Amino acid sequence: MIVEAGQIALVLALIASVYAATASIVGVSRRSSELLVSGRYALYSVLPLLLVSTGALVYAFVTNDFSVRYVAENSNLAMPQAYTWVAFYAGNAGSMLYIAVVFSLMAVIAVVGIRKALPYTSPYATGIMALVLAFLLGVMVFLANPLARLAIVPADGQGINPLLVHFGMFIHPPLQMAGLVSVAIPFSIAIGALLANRGGNDEWVDQGRLWGMISWVILTIGLLLGSWWAYTILGWGGYWAWDPVENSALMPWLAMTAFVHSIMVQKRRGMFRMWNMIIVIVGFTMAQMGMFINRGGPVPSVHSFAQSSMGWLFLAFMVVTLVGSVAVFIWKSDTLRSRGRLESALSRESVFLAQNVLFLTVAFVTLWGTIFPIFSEAANDTVVTVGQPFFNRVNGPMLLLIVLLMGVGPLLPWRRATVSHALRLVRIPLAGAMVTGVVLFAIGVTRPVALVAFMTCGLVVTGILYEWLRGTLARHRGGEEYPVAFVRLLSANRPRYGGYVVHLAIVMLAAGAIASSFYSVQRDFAMRAGDSATVGDYNFTFIGTRHATFPDRQEDYARFEVFKGDSYLGIMEALRAEYPAFRIASTQGAIHSTPIEDFYIVPSEFDREGPAIFRVLINPMVWWMWASGPVLVLGTLFALSPRRRPVPVAVPTRTGAGAVRA
Amino acid sequence: MGLLVSMILLATLAIACLNAGERGVPAIEQRATALNKSIMCPVCPGESIDQSQNSLAVQMRAIVREKLEEGWTDRQIKDFLVERYGPSVLLEPPATGFNLAAWILPPVAFALAIAALLLTLKWMRMSAEAEREDGDEFGGEQRDYVSRIEDALGPETVRESDSEHSGDTRPEGKT
Repeated sequence: MIVEAGQIALVLALIASVYAATASIVGVSRRSSELLVSGRYALYSVLPLLLVSTGALVYAFVTNDFSVRYVAENSNLAMPQAYTWVAFYAGNAGSMLYIAVVFSLMAVIAVVGIRKALPYTSPYATGIMALVLAFLLGVMVFLANPLARLAIVPADGQGINPLLVHFGMFIHPPLQMAGLVSVAIPFSIAIGALLANRGGNDEWVDQGRLWGMISWVILTIGLLLGSWWAYTILGWGGYWAWDPVENSALMPWLAMTAFVHSIMVQKRRGMFRMWNMIIVIVGFTMAQMGMFINRGGPVPSVHSFAQSSMGWLFLAFMVVTLVGSVAVFIWKSDTLRSRGRLESALSRESVFLAQNVLFLTVAFVTLWGTIFPIFSEAANDTVVTVGQPFFNRVNGPMLLLIVLLMGVGPLLPWRRATVSHALRLVRIPLAGAMVTGVVLFAIGVTRPVALVAFMTCGLVVTGILYEWLRGTLARHRGGEEYPVAFVRLLSANRPRYGGYVVHLAIVMLAAGAIASSFYSVQRDFAMRAGDSATVGDYNFTFIGTRHATFPDRQEDYARFEVFKGDSYLGIMEALRAEYPAFRIASTQGAIHSTPIEDFYIVPSEFDREGPAIFRVLINPMVWWMWASGPVLVLGTLFALSPRRRPVPVAVPTRTGAGAVRA
Repeated sequence: MGLLVSMILLATLAIACLNAGERGVPAIEQRATALNKSIMCPVCPGESIDQSQNSLAVQMRAIVREKLEEGWTDRQIKDFLVERYGPSVLLEPPATGFNLAAWILPPVAFALAIAALLLTLKWMRMSAEAEREDGDEFGGEQRDYVSRIEDALGPETVRESDSEHSGDTRPEGKT
């Protein structure tokens, strides 16, 4: 009964979104506000309808209703109860439903926000969002219905991929999917503004930036949590492998990072109007490419949890939106003339442009490497793999260059700087980089690449601190106490100072990645219970194993007593679980994590009788990568937090300013 | 807060690197790890044999180790595995024949991107100058003065006071 209600709600949601798209488009061309209002409400109604469908699916999971095909395929009686609540997004059809419900929620919030602020753009944006929803719902209703019944009801389901049964499952996949689909919101707003001939005045910029940043932060946290999940559960001691699906999630992130920067140039200077449109189109295309590669994509990956034959539909939809939006862009491009002019190549806006170009180049090269095996196979019939060594080599230098620009860009003023002024501005950060280099070299960091990378990080950090210090001192001279001066400085320009906090988080991330990729130590040990071994200054003894049997799996905990130098770190337990039904073994590292380094033990070959082989790693500074997450979110929230209303004094200057701008 | 974070960051960086000597990992094991990371496990798509827990990956790790102990070079071991499992066993495409394209395109893309950037900057500068010369409503010094006023006001201030003033009726776009 409940499942049928969910099915009906799904069909109604499809009808509502098709109506919303049609009414918005027809309403605009006929100038009928009734149609526009009804279209908007149709879009609003999709959300409750999809909530009903989702509720029905979750209900089917929680009650183990194996008559629903999707439940039978992605759940079984042995699955822990908590996971039945979230298992609905583990497979193809259910994750589509999840994406649709999240997107409809975002669309409702976005439309409520832009309806008053952007009255001309809003109907077009509503129409585009409704089209995206209609596509997702159409695929579900006609091809991959998550609520379809089975003719013969099995006694038990097939269960879920055991790698997904992990706490990370509650956060990483939903955030990642939400991040990918959320790119459609800034895309809809931008293309909506373009269609409404409002691309040339910058009224859409605030909403576009808001949603660009929301989408950026969700993508970032999704990527970070994915790495964290890989690090703690996939048990090989690493966190990023340049796997096709990782790449396909990274590409839209790269594009959106470019977007949240270049949109600031439009906000402040009225420039880059065409460029921002291009970037948002690239971002949405990359996001769809991500969904395509994840679902029945053409390249093999460890992430193929939602594999299906439906990937090609996503590709087709991607091509349609790409061609459509490029056509709109060309059609309306004469409305996108810049207000501001580029006055000097030595200015913040030109560094932003350079940063944008670099980000897109990294995204393009990543795409190239990801799909190259297809070309190679087509060209000369040999299958090749393009993996980690390739990407490290080609993307590493460009990413480092981006970090460097992150240090220099914010220091330069808008419009122009003279060479001597610019040199004066980067003097202190350069000194910071030198000090970092000398200190690290003195204590034994001698690999040139690592040294240069750390020096770049040092430059960025010094630059940010120097800016804060300078601003605070200036305010202090104006008579404010130091803490007050600092707080007022930050809140005076939130996008800017929030951005600095995010930059600090990125440096934390970069420092962790650099340290762990250059100075990680890895050894394998064959050990029997009672054996001891030493890595670095860590001494550890394999005490023995603890075995546990569950209906779906066998768990073996290897217990270690660990000392670092003379200090006792405690008992650490590494887990290896075997799932006979899936013929999969999953491992979970025992990690002793400190800001300095992680001591990481993972069972690699496990034998209950003979000696077991353990892999032991010392990963320097990985802790900082996970710690950067909260800092990054705080910085983004701060950058987005609304400013206080301008004081009335601003009003008399308005006419003058308006005349200047016209 | 930022000061604190970055001081701690630098300090841990120093300590982490201080700790990171060779830590007595035998050279042969370091070579084995490096090799394992560049070889794909043929039955577990996308994973290196260093990463994978699959039994084939375990066997291949043993082969790598064995050959290294017998004194084979990295090149020989890679060739041996390619012969057995095909070229896709290497995690980076060989730089020969068509696969050379995989390696050539990224630097070319980078060079083109930089060239495009420089040309764009130059073009934008030139068009800005041309515009300034022919019939800009503010010329020379005056323009400089105006741009400084604009800077001081900032477009946000202008926009916000605009909307506050005009309430629901939008200001018409000025193109």
